[in-house]
Amino acid sequence: MLDRIVKVTEVKDLGAANALLTLRSPEQARLAHPGQFLMVKCCEDLNENPLLRRPFSIFAVRTHRRTGSPVGLEILVKDVGSGTHKLVQIRRGQELAVLGPQGRPFQLSEDTANEVRFACLIAGGVGIAAMYLLAGRLLSLGVTPVLFYGARGAEELVLREYFERFGIQTAYTTEDGSFGERGLVTAPLARFLKKHRRDRMRIYACGPWAMMRAVHLQALRHGVPCEVSLEARMGCSLGACMGCVVRAQGNPDAPEYLRVCLEGPVMSSRVINWDVPPL
Amino acid sequence: MVTENRGKSSRMEVDVGGITFKNPVLTASGTFAYGIEFAHLMDLNSIGGIVVKGISMKPIAGNAPPRIYETSSGMLNAIGWQNIGAREFVENKLPALRKYDTRIVVNVVGFSLEEYLEVIRFLNDHPGIAALELNISCPNVKHGGFHFNKDPRDTFKVTSKARKASRRIPLWVKLSPNVTDIRVFARACEDAGADAISAINTLVGMAVDVQKRRSRLRFVTGGLSGPAIKPVALRMVWEAAREVKIPVIGIGGIASTEDALEFLVAGARAVQVGTANFYNPAASQRIVEGLAEHCRSHKIKDINDIVGSLRI
Repeated sequence: MLDRIVKVTEVKDLGAANALLTLRSPEQARLAHPGQFLMVKCCEDLNENPLLRRPFSIFAVRTHRRTGSPVGLEILVKDVGSGTHKLVQIRRGQELAVLGPQGRPFQLSEDTANEVRFACLIAGGVGIAAMYLLAGRLLSLGVTPVLFYGARGAEELVLREYFERFGIQTAYTTEDGSFGERGLVTAPLARFLKKHRRDRMRIYACGPWAMMRAVHLQALRHGVPCEVSLEARMGCSLGACMGCVVRAQGNPDAPEYLRVCLEGPVMSSRVINWDVPPL
Repeated sequence: MVTENRGKSSRMEVDVGGITFKNPVLTASGTFAYGIEFAHLMDLNSIGGIVVKGISMKPIAGNAPPRIYETSSGMLNAIGWQNIGAREFVENKLPALRKYDTRIVVNVVGFSLEEYLEVIRFLNDHPGIAALELNISCPNVKHGGFHFNKDPRDTFKVTSKARKASRRIPLWVKLSPNVTDIRVFARACEDAGADAISAINTLVGMAVDVQKRRSRLRFVTGGLSGPAIKPVALRMVWEAAREVKIPVIGIGGIASTEDALEFLVAGARAVQVGTANFYNPAASQRIVEGLAEHCRSHKIKDINDIVGSLRI
């Protein structure tokens, strides 16, 4: 992990209060693994409010056009509070303090190719931010990713084109029916799980707590290993503040907590007590 | 103007209760983990000391989330003393931390007087600890040692017993701001034999989610820290330093060199950097550098000359 002052080289407005920020940082880009995150100060001055940095999944690694070497990182920012509100207003050329890559990534290895045929990627809203690097890595390992992507409405289904460029199978859902299937993303997932052999399958999910909980229960029912990328209010991302915890499965009389920043953000869905939402 | 002092560096060492620190900048308990977590983000050898996360004899799981919430120029926390326990600390954290050229201070917590004494006795058997900081001021545990900081007679009692239990290691007491008059508690600590006072711990606060009509924290209340509390902390450090002869270590919203200087001028012998570590992991090192630069440019030969130099 590195703490760097990096230049914002591009800010792309994606609509629905979403922006895709490109950060120039070859050193940090080289270290990034799917599922990891950056801890980003939301304004140029470190001592300005909001004080605490905010965690963002690494959406993509930018590479040099000719050499192919990593030069930058992309993060998806949705304006949902004081920190992200400042961040979406950042202009190209401004500089931000960026700590990372942080956290435990998705557990992938060369063996994944032998063990896994299908990987179901389930994203809810800005949870899509954790899925792009993962999809790319799975493809390079020879695994077939299938994307299940849900949001409230069509305008919130941002960055779809990135996945469509991969040419992978996709299923979209919206709660208002404005794009794809009306309803929740767990519905097409359930059909897919019923229709396919599940012995060489994996599930990866990132989205609202209730969505990940529902995905976890389906995975459990079908005996499919499932990893989730968790969200929590985070103070430091260094394991120091102990703020970003989720409760672990286990004895309810002797609760244990896992830090999303160190033991996560990616965890097996089976280690989490889904009855205690962290937000 | 600066030519006269060129090349000469100012004396930065401070003495806190018989222990010399190479400079007056420490990191505050609960904001710097066990120190080593920050080793690749700053030079741990640069700072005077590290006060590690509060340690109890047995591991503590802590409170249910949500545990933190950011507020204007500060944050609320209700962690609830989550820690790995004293045994795990001395076996797996202390050896790595001791390799650095900095002082290690251990903040100690407990749910009863006996638990405080047990962890103090245990830590006294382990070399490499420069001082113990008795935490009787955490507002985020239901049956914790905070009640020792509600009546000065209890503060006297726990300090005096803890002082005796700490045969080898100096004992500091970290005081709460959630009292009517901090001077009374500072006096109780001094009378009971404390080697120093750390002030202040967090201020009890709250934030409400009006949509859900719930507190932002599962514990409902939390401790407020960060720049928001600095003026209150500064006033209390000033009061305490005038009341007692033992050193006072200033804590509360210190994020810059100027903040640290304010506390020193108000009477703090040393300072602890807390919440700033979360958003600026190298904040304490930057403050050490800033203090040295301040002394150089102001021709201050000894940092101790600043301590308690407030003009009234």
